[in-house]
Amino acid sequence: MLNYLVRRLLIAFVTLLLVTFVIFGLVRNMPGTPLTTDPAMMDPSKQISPEDLRRLEKLYGLDKPWYESYFIWIGNLARFDLGRSIAQNNRPVIGLIGERVGATLTLSATSLVLTYLLSIPLGLWTTVHSGSVRERTLSTVLYMLYSLPSFVAALFLQILLAVKLGWLPLLGMVSDDYASLSGLGKAWDIFCHALMPVACFTYGSLAYYTRFIHSNMQEVIRQDYIRTARAKGVPPRRVIAHHAFRNALIPLVTLIGLTLPALLSGAVILERIFTWPGMGSLFFESISQRDYPVIMGLTLVFSILTLLGQLLADLLYAVVDPRVSYS
Amino acid sequence: MDTDRTTIKDSPSRGFWAEAWLRFRQRKMAMMALYYIGFLCLIALLSPAIAGTKPIVCRYKGTLYFPAMGYFNRRWEKPVFQRDRFYRIYPTNLQKNDPNSWAVWPLVYQDPYRRVRDGEWDDRPGNPTGTDGQPSRRNLLGTNQQGFDVFAQMVHGTRIALTVGFVSMGIAATIGVFVGSLAGYLGGWTDVLLSRLIELVMCIPALVLILALIAIIDEVTTWHLMAIIGCTSWTGIARLTRAEFMKLKQLEFVAAAQAMGASHWRIMFRHILRNALAPILVPISFGIAAAILIESGLSFLGFGAPPPNPSWGTLLSSGRATIEQTWWLIVFPGAAIFLTVLAYNLIGEGLQEATDPRLRQAGQ
Amino acid sequence: MTSCCWRLMFVSIVLAFLSGCSSSVDEEQVDFMLGDMLEPFSPHSLDELDAKTTWIDQPVVDTLDRLRSYQVDQGPMPVSVTEALTIKNDSPENNTKIIGALGRVAPSDGQGVNYDDAVVVHTAGDLKSSNPIMASSVTDFEVGDLISPGLFTFDWEMQPLANAEMVVSWRTSDDRMVDKVVLRNDWTWSDGTPVTAQDVEFSFKVIMSSQVKPPAVRQGTDKIRWVKAYDDRTVVFFHKQALATNVWNVNYPIIPKHIYQETIDRDPSMTRSDEHSRLEDDPITSGPYVLAKRVRNQEIVLRRREGYYMHKGNQVRSKPFFSTVRYKIIPDTNTALLSLKAGETDVQILTAEQWQSQTEGDDFYERNTKITGLEWTSFHFCWNLKTPFFSDIRVRRAMSHVFDYDEMLNKIFYGLYTQGRGTFHPTSWMYPKEAPPAYRQDLDRAETLLEEAGWVDHDGDGLLDKEIDGRSVPFRFTVLTNNTPNGVKVCTLLKECLDKIGIECMVKPTEFTVLTQNMRDHKFQAAMGGWGTGTDPSTSLNIWGTDEGRNYGHYSNPRVDELFEAGVIEFDPSRRAEIYAAIHKILWEDQPYTWLFYRNSFYGFNKRLRGYKFSPRGPFTYGPGFRSLWTPAAQP
Repeated sequence: MLNYLVRRLLIAFVTLLLVTFVIFGLVRNMPGTPLTTDPAMMDPSKQISPEDLRRLEKLYGLDKPWYESYFIWIGNLARFDLGRSIAQNNRPVIGLIGERVGATLTLSATSLVLTYLLSIPLGLWTTVHSGSVRERTLSTVLYMLYSLPSFVAALFLQILLAVKLGWLPLLGMVSDDYASLSGLGKAWDIFCHALMPVACFTYGSLAYYTRFIHSNMQEVIRQDYIRTARAKGVPPRRVIAHHAFRNALIPLVTLIGLTLPALLSGAVILERIFTWPGMGSLFFESISQRDYPVIMGLTLVFSILTLLGQLLADLLYAVVDPRVSYS
Repeated sequence: MDTDRTTIKDSPSRGFWAEAWLRFRQRKMAMMALYYIGFLCLIALLSPAIAGTKPIVCRYKGTLYFPAMGYFNRRWEKPVFQRDRFYRIYPTNLQKNDPNSWAVWPLVYQDPYRRVRDGEWDDRPGNPTGTDGQPSRRNLLGTNQQGFDVFAQMVHGTRIALTVGFVSMGIAATIGVFVGSLAGYLGGWTDVLLSRLIELVMCIPALVLILALIAIIDEVTTWHLMAIIGCTSWTGIARLTRAEFMKLKQLEFVAAAQAMGASHWRIMFRHILRNALAPILVPISFGIAAAILIESGLSFLGFGAPPPNPSWGTLLSSGRATIEQTWWLIVFPGAAIFLTVLAYNLIGEGLQEATDPRLRQAGQ
Repeated sequence: MTSCCWRLMFVSIVLAFLSGCSSSVDEEQVDFMLGDMLEPFSPHSLDELDAKTTWIDQPVVDTLDRLRSYQVDQGPMPVSVTEALTIKNDSPENNTKIIGALGRVAPSDGQGVNYDDAVVVHTAGDLKSSNPIMASSVTDFEVGDLISPGLFTFDWEMQPLANAEMVVSWRTSDDRMVDKVVLRNDWTWSDGTPVTAQDVEFSFKVIMSSQVKPPAVRQGTDKIRWVKAYDDRTVVFFHKQALATNVWNVNYPIIPKHIYQETIDRDPSMTRSDEHSRLEDDPITSGPYVLAKRVRNQEIVLRRREGYYMHKGNQVRSKPFFSTVRYKIIPDTNTALLSLKAGETDVQILTAEQWQSQTEGDDFYERNTKITGLEWTSFHFCWNLKTPFFSDIRVRRAMSHVFDYDEMLNKIFYGLYTQGRGTFHPTSWMYPKEAPPAYRQDLDRAETLLEEAGWVDHDGDGLLDKEIDGRSVPFRFTVLTNNTPNGVKVCTLLKECLDKIGIECMVKPTEFTVLTQNMRDHKFQAAMGGWGTGTDPSTSLNIWGTDEGRNYGHYSNPRVDELFEAGVIEFDPSRRAEIYAAIHKILWEDQPYTWLFYRNSFYGFNKRLRGYKFSPRGPFTYGPGFRSLWTPAAQP
């Protein structure tokens, strides 16, 4: 097993190099550079002269061909230096990302855990009551939720809960007076701010996960060993939870591995609407501004997590299914 | 002697898919969903006849023309109307230039690509704009802020709604199933390499690819965007297929097939795949419907098909700016999307049950 | 085999890293040379200068006072304040009433002003840099106006002035080559050190150092030959040429010499070193407000600085009205409007759509009111004259005849904007007295013009075409536009209009970066763009001069180039106006753009605010700008 782990980590390394190489090349060759829009506001009197433009290009390494710049970036990476943001006034990239990780995790991790907590019982319940009116109604309601895009629902919720009723804050992650709150006060403040974004991030995926579990369970409960268990007189709940569910776990584990990257790629749209200071909006902004160091930093973080997620899923297969082994 | 012969006729097996279709037909909900999709296809085909500002057929200066075909392809709207300075307004100009002309008009005189102006049709006022476009007698489902009729947009948008899902999911499912099954079944170095390929594609953010595409290609259409979505979302299906194949290849029927000398391809795609359908049907059926929502999200972020794009998703995201007044821009496309999601999922459910061999045993 | 393979791979990866290490970029280790872009210059002593120069006095004005007297001259308020607070702004008359009543500046003695109020302003983007030399984004300039205003400013009629809050006197030599400014002696930095002429000289040298990379402020400043501080209060600007724009060139930002002369040697970029990072969050500035707190991507908090208006126990300037100015960063416009309605922000720009339909109801008027003002921002279609289509002036005129201006102005913009009449705004001094008539949609005329230019449907496929170099070229082109809803709507309308006469136009909404880059590289056929206004029309040489930086469409007219050169050395205002009016008329004839509309300013203000005034650049980036806003104290 250890052998396998080491092998996987090494391969992951190579994959990371490949991914960063491809993204670097792609982004560098798209039209537009970080210097295109900065001074180019609509005021014709504020324009940078060609000589200054050339000097700036030299400073940011934009005059070199992209593969050379990539090599330099890798070299810096080896010394744990992710570089400095061009569009954000030379702030270190690590700092920029670090500022936002907390916010993204608060949103995404909570939402992910909530989704699984809700959809596993729902999925099991629909399996048991499959075909009944209650189950059909629930499924229809879940489909309705799925069909409503998050940016519309977000606006509805904002108007209703924040403006008309005033129950929840409108935007942001913390209130203006956050610094002066007690520890408990701070937790409550973040909780209130996170309610609407988390709800919007979660509701759409409920339908998908519930259906997913339901469909896998349907296949499992028709197996012979389930018939045997029932014939033996095992109570129905135990049949489902103990015998059937375990065998539906493999696809579920795959799904967990797939959703880990979604943790950080974040909800670009929702972050923008709620002014949530997460990594998704940083990514979007940095792409529009062609802020190469930040784009590469985020891609690196994102890729590492994706690869970790797949590794985790693969390791969990061995745990969940005794027939799979990695020796 | 003849009496020794058995008189039971050999009925050849109908085949897997024919059997599955028979079972599918027995599920009422799934058939209704199929009929709904069929209905949408019909609407898509007949869209210029249902809502449009060009006559379906007209006789002008002695010749028969079909100007409504111009909605499908610009060239099919004949240049004679151009030469005679119609400026695309048919009702008044047909009469003016040739009093003997006649025309068969679409059911609803509205256009998905522009606002109908005052006096185009029988002294009717033009479409209202801004937030004044509530559903009314003339605009059955209301108008958007620029005055384009919602009913016409939804009818013409059906074409897009039907096909985006199939394009993106078609690509994703084909690549995903292919790669996943090879990786899961063959194992070893193939698995290692293919899994790395899956990880590589997973790590590349779709947003970057879409932006790169838009920047490079001159005429970006919805198909390009959906192709990109398809090419980046096959990884989930691949992983699920791979896991399923890894599990199933241990079973006895595979060993039996191998003993009988079946080739790898035959085992994979004729034997194992049918049993591995369950986990991947859900992502596929959701994915087809999700394509509409993805298109809507893209147009919210600012990348979408070249305007004017009468798709349900664009209608939905345009309603956001005036959400408190223009409820019709959210409700109608939202309802259509909901019904489509429901339909595709019911079909997926039905397909799963129809192809599950264990149901046959249970006397279904 | 396997373990060998792995070991080999491991080693090769490590090697790759190490080699990458060695080729990493090194920081520039060259010594910092202050002002190395300047050619050496030895100015005369002050006495010699005074002896040989005839000085002309230039205006030194307290812009708030000027606004006050301007409003007094306007006469009494059209309605009372209480009434103005109840009317809804749904007509131009009501707009005038609201501005007339609520726009009154506070009395000069500060009676009735609530000095403890905090105002919250919405901004869409974060502050990039608090160092005024490194300013580049809109937020940088807005905040910079309050924490680091310069010596010079301009009023709502775009008249250049020296700011009476910093300057005692301003004189120009009669040959326009020298400007002499005497600073006040009661002006201090936020750490108490007095602001001196040496700071002004130092700032100039910093901007003109090649290792410093100011994104925006070097333009104009590089036309100054030399700046010399003769003593703590007297500074003299020497110009390279006698240009009318010299009065604008001297308007550059000031940074404290006693702070930066220590730190800039180690870090000429002014952004990387630890000291400079600390200064970013806690800068030493000279304006009425100081940067008190910054939470990235959330807010920027400015606090009133007592050292600005109090000096040695006496009040020497009018007290800035707000105790705190807080900029709240909200990128999404819908959310921002909700925030205004909920009373969480007080000042906000509105879009035309929001003005029209989202701000009519009681939910808006409960806490806010809204006003609109003229702005000299114009939008247009830019034609690329190097394409086979638009090189012909008849085709361009045909384009201007094809477009349905009425539909755009009345249906897309709800009658809120006026039609574009050329490069200068009809209310500006540069606009010709006898203006050419506006274009109207005339499809017949357009088709005739196109026919004359050779564009006819020869092959009967419904598209116009023309034979060029032996090939038949169909009239099919792409128009680029920004991703905004309005841009897309207008271009869709263009597509519809062109479709009527047999021209196929593809609308391509593009990201701003790509759009700007493509326009700079001339990689487009047509594009929709817009320009705000500079303070002086000579800056539009950028747009219309042959091969200039913002001349995206390859427009070239030698007469226009000549006129621009003439305009910049002409000092008589009426002759200047004639020169620019001539430019305007030639451009109108040539139609390198199809001018579409002028976009006005729309702002929502909390009802408790007073004192807003609009300039052609909006309500804030001029003198007095934001400083004229105030809140009245609660009535007993």
